[in-house]
Amino acid sequence: MNLTTSLVVAPLVAAFLVLMVPGNFRVVTRGIALLGGLVTLLLGVAVFVRFDPSGPQYQMESLVPWVSSSSFRLGLHLGVDGVGASMLLVTALVGFSAIAVSWNIERQSKLFYILLLVMLGGALGTFASLDLFFFYFFNELALVPTFIMIGVWGTGEDKDYAAFKITLYLTAGALVALAGLIGLYTLSGASSLDLVELQRHLAKTPLSPSVQAFLFPCLLLGFGTLVGLWPFHSWAPQGYGCAPSATAMMHAGILKKAGLLALLRVALPLMPQGVERWMPVLALLCVGNLLWCGFTAMRQRDLNLLVGHSSLAHMGFAFLGIASVSVVGLTGTVLVMVSHALLAALSFAVTGWLRHHVGTLDMDKMGGLLRRMPFIGTVMVMCFMAGCGLPGFGNFAGEATVMFGAWKSAPWIVVIAAWGGLIIGGVYMLRSIRSVLHGALPEEWGAVSDAAGAWRRLPFALMAGGLLFLGVFPSTVTRRVQPALAKVVEQARPAAAKAAATGAGLVNSPKLAGTPGDR
Amino acid sequence: MDAHVTTAAAAAGAKVQDLAWMVLASPLLCGAGTWFFTRRLRGLTAGLNLFGIALSLLLSVILLGVADGQPVAATPFEWLPIPGLGFTLGLQVDRLSVLMSLVVTVVASLVMVYSTAYMHDDASFSRFFCKLSLFVFSMLGIVLADNLVMMFAFWELVGVSSYLLIGFWHGKPEAGDAAKKAFLTNRLGDFGFLLGILVVWSATGTVRLSELAAKLHAEPGLLGSMAGVAGLLVFMGAMGKSAQFPLHVWLPDAMEGPTPVSALIHAATMVAAGVYMLCRVFFLYTVPAGWPEALEFLGNLGAGMIIGHVGAFTALLAALMAVQQDDIKRILAYSTLSQLGYMVMAVGLGAAEGTPAAGLFHLVTHAFFKAMLFLGAGSVIHACHHEQDIWRMGGLRKKMPVTFWAFVLGTLALAGVPPFSGFYSKDEILATALHVAPPLFFVAVAVAILTTFYMGRLVLVAFMGEARSEHASHAHESPRAMTMPLVVLAVPSVVIAWFPLGEHIASAFGGHGHGAGHGASGGASAVGLLPLLEKIFGGLDAAILGPFNHNAMAATFGLFAVLLGGSLAWACYGKGGPDPLPGLLGGWARLMRRKFYFDEIYSGLVIPLHDMLGAAFSLADRWLLGGLVVRGLHGTVELAGRALRLVQTGNLQTYSFLFAAGLAVVAWFFLR
Repeated sequence: MNLTTSLVVAPLVAAFLVLMVPGNFRVVTRGIALLGGLVTLLLGVAVFVRFDPSGPQYQMESLVPWVSSSSFRLGLHLGVDGVGASMLLVTALVGFSAIAVSWNIERQSKLFYILLLVMLGGALGTFASLDLFFFYFFNELALVPTFIMIGVWGTGEDKDYAAFKITLYLTAGALVALAGLIGLYTLSGASSLDLVELQRHLAKTPLSPSVQAFLFPCLLLGFGTLVGLWPFHSWAPQGYGCAPSATAMMHAGILKKAGLLALLRVALPLMPQGVERWMPVLALLCVGNLLWCGFTAMRQRDLNLLVGHSSLAHMGFAFLGIASVSVVGLTGTVLVMVSHALLAALSFAVTGWLRHHVGTLDMDKMGGLLRRMPFIGTVMVMCFMAGCGLPGFGNFAGEATVMFGAWKSAPWIVVIAAWGGLIIGGVYMLRSIRSVLHGALPEEWGAVSDAAGAWRRLPFALMAGGLLFLGVFPSTVTRRVQPALAKVVEQARPAAAKAAATGAGLVNSPKLAGTPGDR
Repeated sequence: MDAHVTTAAAAAGAKVQDLAWMVLASPLLCGAGTWFFTRRLRGLTAGLNLFGIALSLLLSVILLGVADGQPVAATPFEWLPIPGLGFTLGLQVDRLSVLMSLVVTVVASLVMVYSTAYMHDDASFSRFFCKLSLFVFSMLGIVLADNLVMMFAFWELVGVSSYLLIGFWHGKPEAGDAAKKAFLTNRLGDFGFLLGILVVWSATGTVRLSELAAKLHAEPGLLGSMAGVAGLLVFMGAMGKSAQFPLHVWLPDAMEGPTPVSALIHAATMVAAGVYMLCRVFFLYTVPAGWPEALEFLGNLGAGMIIGHVGAFTALLAALMAVQQDDIKRILAYSTLSQLGYMVMAVGLGAAEGTPAAGLFHLVTHAFFKAMLFLGAGSVIHACHHEQDIWRMGGLRKKMPVTFWAFVLGTLALAGVPPFSGFYSKDEILATALHVAPPLFFVAVAVAILTTFYMGRLVLVAFMGEARSEHASHAHESPRAMTMPLVVLAVPSVVIAWFPLGEHIASAFGGHGHGAGHGASGGASAVGLLPLLEKIFGGLDAAILGPFNHNAMAATFGLFAVLLGGSLAWACYGKGGPDPLPGLLGGWARLMRRKFYFDEIYSGLVIPLHDMLGAAFSLADRWLLGGLVVRGLHGTVELAGRALRLVQTGNLQTYSFLFAAGLAVVAWFFLR
């Protein structure tokens, strides 16, 4: 079994082992889950390190044929490119941390760990699948536990409505995307949903423009909904607000990014005409994420809702990078994906700690907690500073790259993005630090406790350290994703790529809005 | 040493790079070291952080000797290598950056020594030193950065370390508020700065300072119609950090931080970063003016001219505010604002003359005497048990002689009394203004009068006369660790301008506008340590009397301003008693005291506007998207379910009726 396959299988095996242990052996179930998470993390590191940017596009591949007839072939095709390798590593890291911070789950903890491990396996499978059928399958495998976990272990009065809303939205989104994928399969005349074969097939016989014109929006809006593209976003904050922290970490951090990966791997390279027609629309929609969700985040008084809204605002940057269809912009998108995965997971880990120890996430009632919780408080400050784009954290690298990448094609949207990231983001992040951590300490929180001991602190330190590492050495990621993204741009914008190859330098995207710089 | 350098220039190049990196890294490493290892050991913490800064200082001195005019670019660190973009972290060692890093490290090391005493009883002693080291690291990053993106990154880091230090006593609600306000106001400036970088990058294709300078030198019209906009956007960054109108509101509030922080960050270094940055990107302001269509009415007005006026307005506004403040630190804060306005004005107007040297000169002298004034104020506050109101001090002259004399020297320097350093740098600014924009010259003179007046008020009320409160009557001199930095800082405050510092600075900009063949922003003539020393002592007398030979009118007006302001202050406050100004000025005094109501205007307009938008979107989110769409979808599905359920009655007659009806419809459809 090669490295990628073992990585995907490891958490599923751990889930099976937990299943075999009686439910009242709580220490054993947690131990197995942690061990499974740790093995997954190590395998994730191994995949990331072993990936060679100068090698072939997909590496560490494995193919297990499942259905094969003359007209239709289906197989479990796993493998990684640079983007996949980066996402796998960060998934494994967040997965391990999510297991580690779940020490306070008491009710039915065995079932909880099984679901969490299945979710982790599903997420890893999603990022490792090179067959679109299995991509979809693994994504659903990860989504279903999300709904159950919110329903069973969720908190808050609206948790049922939240679970219902998130299920409705994500299922609808996935359905639209599935329609797009099926359309892609039938209309292209390919005999397989294998990404490599599809690309080969479509390079020879491209889809007609009219087909692309209606398939592309299916993929864009379907996968966009999974990411929280405005105006299909309102499931996210509420769902995360009620979810147990491990679930919110996995979903907001990791699963959301599957939609972006699908756009990068499927929608952009396979449908150049769709790209040309729909990217301006995406550029406008992402303003919704950047401004609308930013402003709504400012209004939140509940910390979890605030983090949920802000994570939607961050997705605006990822979309903006995609809309620019340039190597620089897409690199920024991947950096945003990776660092936001850590950021969102870390934020929800912190709010989970606060909710458990303080008993509320209502910012009006909190205050002065930094004095009682120096460690968690410091992590929260770091995390929120990363969230408003402070250099030194990975998010700044990603967001700045996106802005540079998109400046030539959509300067006014970059202006909005800068406003959203620097000002609006700054306002709500700092306001919440001020009202949660600074100021006078209400008497009732005089006895709340900080994370003590290396073991409790480890997951927080891992994620915060990851953010810092990405901020200082983003090249570890960008070096790996470069070849894959260059290829995406080449396929998505054949004309521009040719111009670039003949020495025109930067890839120039078409004008999406007026360029003040060129007048 | 000098000969060694010239003989082995190539080897020295490599060395300079390593030295420059060490200047930057040493505070960071020592700060991080304390954070992780010695947090519980106060002595070790202080020692380690002091060592880090002192090492930076030492290396900067060495760099001063080694960097012989030719700018040395340190090996870049490939931060974000992307084809077509390629952000690197590299250092540019030239006269400008070495001078600035000297200023930063000198003030920082003295402030650290001072803090060992000032913060001695604080429970978070170690945290304070770590943050201070983080700040010095970030500041040196701005100073040494060789490209705009790196400068922006460290720019933000300076902002956050200032945020952390203003909010150091985070239990105090005011401190938390002030920190937040400072960071957000700075962010507004950074927003412009970032866009400015993008505009410059898209027009020139590079963010490296040396390449930019070379490109704009070769082709001044490269920025075209965006020249003015780019200049102003970049200036927005300086507006935030250097607290220029209308982003000036954060600086007075920032005084909530510990006093050493005010001295280092909010007087000498961070707030000067804006001015330094303008000097660094000065090539943006010497290009021909150009505006996009919408702003064409500005015509030939350059960005530099606009900046000059903003600076002059800030200087005047802040000086007026300072006249009616009672908090010793706030008076100094408004004075800092006003002096920063001076510097910005000088840099902006300097665009017409091709050199920002006057502004930079004032930056250097101001850094020393203002840091000293703040440390003196801290010493007073420490002695009076955290009393900051000057009307509750009084009579401190005899009780705290060292502090008093240091404070007086600083005041004389700030007011611009010859032969103290402030006189010379202020004189250069006045001369520049007189030469480029005479109306602003008279504004500058008015500011000088006000400066002497409010500083006279401060000294007369706080130090002279009788003690005005219990605490003040029991005050006694501060410990040696606090007075020593005062004494050390007094030396440069007095004498630094006697040396040809102005010429040294001016020569750093020699390459601009004069057609010299070197592209980068460094100067040409060789200045090793020895030639520098020779020059210094050779030109001593010439330097002291220089201003009167150079531009007699500016110097005379400067002197006149000092005399007028001083005598006014003596007339009002020389005899003790309460403040006569509110009675004399009436409503104006209240306006000055309330800072012209800028805080009220902002908190009544800008913040509610954002909140209102937030409320509107939030409402739409909840009712339109959440209510109509989600509930609507839910509702329709449920309604359909209910409707269909009506059909499933379980009654055989109903089923057979429906079956027959269906059959009839189908039959009708086909047989029609």
